Amino acid sequence: MEHTTLENGLRVVAAPDRSAPVATVGVYYQIGFRLEPRGRSGFAHLFEHMMFQGSENAGKMEHIRLINSSGGLLNGTTHYDVTNYFEAVPSNALDRVLWLEADRMRALKVDDENLRNQRDVVKEEVRVNVMNQPYGGFPWLDLPPVAFRNWPNAHNFYGDFADLDAATLADVRNFFHTYYSPNNAVLVMIGDFDAKEAFASAKRYFDDIPAHPLPPRTDVSEPSQTEERRGEVEEKLGPLPAIAIGYTMPPRGSREWHAAAILDRVLHGGRAGRVYHRLVLEKQIAVDADGGADLLDTNGPTQMVTRIFHRPEYTSEATVAAFDEVVSEVQREGIPADELDAVKVKFRADYYSMLEGGMGSYMPRFGLMHYLACFTLFDGDPGRVNTALAGFLAVTPEEAQAAARKYLLPQNRAVLLRRPPKAAASPKGGAQ
Amino acid sequence: MSVPVAANARPSTAPALGPESAVAWPKRSVRTLANGMQVVLAEARTFPRISAQLFLRSGNAAVARTSPGLAGMAASVVRTGTKSRASRRIEEDLRRMGADLGTHAGADSSAIAISGLAEFSGGLVELAGDLARNASFPEAEFERERRQRIEELRVERTTPGFLANERFRRVIFGEHPYAVTAPTEDQVGAYRRDGLEEFYRRHYSPANALLIAVGDFSSDEMAGQIEKAFGDWKGPGPEAQAMADPPRYSGRRVYLVDLPGTVQTQVLVGNLGITRSNPDWHSTVLANSIFGGAFHSRLIINIREQKGYTYSPRSAATALRQQGYFSVHAAVRNEVVAATLTEIFYEMDRMRALPVTPEELESARNYLSGVFSLGVATQEGLLGQLSTVYLERLAEDYLEGYRERIRALTAEDALEAARRHFDSANARIVIVGDRAQIEAQAALFGQVTAFDASGKQI
Repeated sequence: MEHTTLENGLRVVAAPDRSAPVATVGVYYQIGFRLEPRGRSGFAHLFEHMMFQGSENAGKMEHIRLINSSGGLLNGTTHYDVTNYFEAVPSNALDRVLWLEADRMRALKVDDENLRNQRDVVKEEVRVNVMNQPYGGFPWLDLPPVAFRNWPNAHNFYGDFADLDAATLADVRNFFHTYYSPNNAVLVMIGDFDAKEAFASAKRYFDDIPAHPLPPRTDVSEPSQTEERRGEVEEKLGPLPAIAIGYTMPPRGSREWHAAAILDRVLHGGRAGRVYHRLVLEKQIAVDADGGADLLDTNGPTQMVTRIFHRPEYTSEATVAAFDEVVSEVQREGIPADELDAVKVKFRADYYSMLEGGMGSYMPRFGLMHYLACFTLFDGDPGRVNTALAGFLAVTPEEAQAAARKYLLPQNRAVLLRRPPKAAASPKGGAQ
Repeated sequence: MSVPVAANARPSTAPALGPESAVAWPKRSVRTLANGMQVVLAEARTFPRISAQLFLRSGNAAVARTSPGLAGMAASVVRTGTKSRASRRIEEDLRRMGADLGTHAGADSSAIAISGLAEFSGGLVELAGDLARNASFPEAEFERERRQRIEELRVERTTPGFLANERFRRVIFGEHPYAVTAPTEDQVGAYRRDGLEEFYRRHYSPANALLIAVGDFSSDEMAGQIEKAFGDWKGPGPEAQAMADPPRYSGRRVYLVDLPGTVQTQVLVGNLGITRSNPDWHSTVLANSIFGGAFHSRLIINIREQKGYTYSPRSAATALRQQGYFSVHAAVRNEVVAATLTEIFYEMDRMRALPVTPEELESARNYLSGVFSLGVATQEGLLGQLSTVYLERLAEDYLEGYRERIRALTAEDALEAARRHFDSANARIVIVGDRAQIEAQAALFGQVTAFDASGKQI
């Protein structure tokens, strides 16, 4: 793996992998929904759609046609702190991908009709994923407004429809000009190519894109929290009550953060996790219970979140109390060495699994691309992909217990209840 | 680092493609153990992991007439205990080996899927063998899984995609076991522990088993581990069952599932199709990719990129072991149900009436060939492709020859496939949404039969 920086500030990472005749390419911009403008909730994601609507030399549908007809797949996703655009292609299409990504980094070319069209598409996306889906948006949209106080962390990331309607073409141009600059991005190339040639291609296509001065970084820090926060959202479709419990994580990269990440895998991680074991298998209060923490790909306040779907005959208080018992056991008794060892083995296995695929089985090395990009943007060092595991595997039982005592506290958490309006009789039958 | 580059080199048109590379096929071996179990091994030594799936060639279709969904419940309970391991021990052993386990049943097969760190490959194979051979079906675990399944069913009955698929399969498959996608709560309530055990005894047997392992191992060592875990497994395969033919139908019909108050309508249009053994299979896949199977396909350009009716429309040719189907899916806002159906049929009819353009043909052949290469570049992807070949008993060189067969297809092939297998005139139309808002729109396309979410006709 090698990396360089072009004169315009674009960071470029190349990781040759000759095991299959394919290439995976990602362009990551350091702008996510955390930093979208106030009064424009959902804009970072709407804007991501606009990046597929045409650029200077490739009009609407041309990006998609050129990638699909090269035998490749493409998509983009919006996260808290980054927005990415990525392609997986047969390796003979690498130059074509770079040309396309450079073209839209240089000059987006969209009109009002494109904006109207994608606003409609995004609304249907929100309907299909959130409004018309049992537990849609639970808890990734429900919890932040309860857990956080600073607008960047606490607003509706998919966007209120009124805000989507208010977005204009001028907003699109302004957002592009502000954040979609080579000095705010990284290009990652992985696959069946020679690194020297890939760097030469990257330079050829991206080098003359002018850099813009970036705005000062917005303060996304949270005021300190002094008591537990609670919220409630109505579940309109599903019959089961659900609960999300989120603990705010220690600062990224700190020892305590590593310890909290291991703690997360003690509590969660499928059936072996303590929460599932206690609530689903042993007490049978819950139908499902699991959780996780966004670790390597966020760069601001984030939480370890437990999701519980419980039987309606138990109250949410009883369910949270059963969860609290699990937490207080860890705080009181710590974690036995053999359990901690097993959790670390699984942590290592999951890391490899993420690097190898990470996005179903259809995008080779997607996870490797994702981590290389995030390490470059957040830490200035893609090489951390090779060393990041060590910090997690070094967590001691003492560190894990200390993190549990310091962070798994009511005054560091938010509890969100998502409840059906009443204990409605659900449809029982099946199609005949 | 510094990189030499020619000045002024940026072109204003997309660079041409170089020649396509050959797929790098991993070392692969196929053998049959003395007890009849088929074993396929493929070395993919990129990351220190292995993925293995033990398939039993029987799934929910085998029990659809007697106890719908029982194969799925048996698979769920298989992971909860063996003669020598309690549930907790199984989960802890998995974590200790960095492993994930899935046990599930589809229509045609049941599977024990295990993946984990290569350094534990012997232990992973041993655990898979224990689950396949020694499951003990603990009563308490069964009762818990049963209750859990009932809660899951209640959630599924509020999920538009699930309801659309359930109704569609009922309609196209009729008395054929593929008609049943999920049991009722009462049917789950009627499962008995000895019924699960009987299914396990009959169907989890070496003569009915196929083990595929992909990953960072030496085939010789892996074969030894498999022989050790499965070599002395005994038992005959189950007898083949006769299954009823799906119904023939003519004319368009509409099936509406009422979900009052919903803000979007799930549309599903389709018809009976073909299996992979049909000579039209590849040309149907090609036609589907031009119609609605890729991002750059006609349906998506039309109803998403031009009209903005929907976020993720798609179409698919799906092959089960005995039958297949063609389906078109779109979740659309309630006002445009009729408009969406109009465009779906317009695009289907266009595929049936006119040959695709040379550019579309070339693009689709490239697409299918390239995506195939991507699909075999990860361990899980390769395992998926191999499982199709060996479960469906396709030719040994099916994968190796796939790209060439796709490259040989013509516009005429796509036209013929669309005419035979995109049955616009006799399509079954399923819509799931708020009846009051959508029934009149749907009625423009055929006689409407309405159901509630429980499946009762209303």
